[in-house]
Amino acid sequence: MFSVLLFILFAGLALGCAISLVVQRNPLYCAISLVGVFVALAGLYILLAAPFIAAVQVIVYAGAIMVLVVFVIMLLNVEEEEHRPSNLRYILIGVALGAILFGEAAFVLYSVHTPLTVQGNTGIGLTSSIGTGLFTEYLLPFEVTSVLILMAIVGAMSLARRAASTNLSARREAGGDGGSTLAQTPLRLTGDARTDAAIMPGETAATGRAMAELQIERGEAAAPSREKE
Amino acid sequence: MKLLGINIAFVAVLLIVAYTVLAERRILAFIQGRLGPNRVGYGGLLQPFADLLKFILKEEIIPDKSTKFVYVLAPMIAITAALMTIIVYPFGPTVNVPFLGPVDLVITRLDIGLLYVLGITSVGVYGIMLAGWSSNNKYSLMGGLRASAQMISYELSLGLSLVGVVMMSGTLDLYDMVGQQGGYWFYVIPRWNIIPQFLGFVIYLISAIAETNRVPFDLPEAETELVAGFHTEYSAMKFAFFFMAEYVNMFTVSMLATTLFLGGWQGPFVETFPPLGVLYFLIKVVFFLFLYIWLRGTLPRFRFDQLMDFGWKFLLPVAILNVILTATVMFFKG
Repeated sequence: MFSVLLFILFAGLALGCAISLVVQRNPLYCAISLVGVFVALAGLYILLAAPFIAAVQVIVYAGAIMVLVVFVIMLLNVEEEEHRPSNLRYILIGVALGAILFGEAAFVLYSVHTPLTVQGNTGIGLTSSIGTGLFTEYLLPFEVTSVLILMAIVGAMSLARRAASTNLSARREAGGDGGSTLAQTPLRLTGDARTDAAIMPGETAATGRAMAELQIERGEAAAPSREKE
Repeated sequence: MKLLGINIAFVAVLLIVAYTVLAERRILAFIQGRLGPNRVGYGGLLQPFADLLKFILKEEIIPDKSTKFVYVLAPMIAITAALMTIIVYPFGPTVNVPFLGPVDLVITRLDIGLLYVLGITSVGVYGIMLAGWSSNNKYSLMGGLRASAQMISYELSLGLSLVGVVMMSGTLDLYDMVGQQGGYWFYVIPRWNIIPQFLGFVIYLISAIAETNRVPFDLPEAETELVAGFHTEYSAMKFAFFFMAEYVNMFTVSMLATTLFLGGWQGPFVETFPPLGVLYFLIKVVFFLFLYIWLRGTLPRFRFDQLMDFGWKFLLPVAILNVILTATVMFFKG
């Protein structure tokens, strides 16, 4: 009974934050809502007796990736989105894709005949079972993923390096040597925030992912949550 | 039962935190050849309560141009995240309490205790970031940016410095980790993790100081450049929340250091008289708190580029080296 209440609480929180994420115009509010979604999902994982996945969810997504996203939003002082007239074609495509997704989910739920209850002792989300799985059965995918992540890091680094001479904010993203420029960036950016913002989005996503993946690779073991994606 | 434990632990922690502030002011004063606050109560012992009253009675100012919702939310996040980690630390061994029988002096035991601590700590950054952003003040923004850059940089080496201990103990449950550190090598040297993991301990200590934004890494609130950093616009109880959050964070990182490296409540004669464990635990934690204050009275502040260089180019590689060394030694020892 208590767990049902908690489920309703976390699920409601996740849904509310997700709706707010889509509806909000201010990018920072969107980011905060996304953090709320991640934290609520972590709560749901705990209810499913998978504490390790919940912890990794909070550490990697809420604690690393979203911190970088909020950091960049703050640094660039991104303004509120303007209200654009909605395009009927995009709406139709969105509705169609959403319908397909819901259909898939419904099909999967329908095809699972066993009732979806979780016993506390399945051991799926426990630290030891994930560790054992990663280093025995799923060793090859694990290693391949880490090589992929390494490539992403190197790629992000080289992208940021090349842009360093022209783009101040990129140099800051590159990590170590950008420290001293940090103090000056927002002041300089006030004039041409538009142009910088035009360059940043793809870059920040890549760098943010790379930073988080650095953390993953260094032993925080986010690979399990990666599998969930 | 559990609620009672939580209440006792929280009150105890907040009291200790309040007296840490007083101790800091007195010790700093002595380091600098002054007396410090000694008028309220005997030797200034009631000063924390006077401060609290003052915080409550002062006017709450919300700047006109601030983003109000986030401005109010930020101190709440900071203090909540700081207080949430307390529940996993083992304060002492199983103790026989009159009328209640044997009681574990830990509020809850989590299979993922250490990860829980790291996760909550990483969420605590939001309090500072959002405070800096929502105040709509350039000093606050500067402080918030510095704090978040610093905290995400040092979080990496902090987490990595603990990997060695986790590898050695083979568990993430803090209670088990303390249990494993009982006993002695050669009948004299305690089996604390600090001896095999000395490198990890030093890295942890440095990154923990940076993580809590304390001297010599207190760039986010460098008063000579930034007024007061991210909490420049905050007043009254909201400011007190940030203030408390900083000291609670100091306290929790000290507890983590004690638990992981200094054997938690382990010490001589704990087996025969368990309540001694709480005393040992407190002594070790207070030692770290004193170290914080001592450093503040001794060291000058880093420059920001030095801070970043040190974190990324020195601490992080050394932390990785520590993991590799530990793994190698463990492999050959079998």
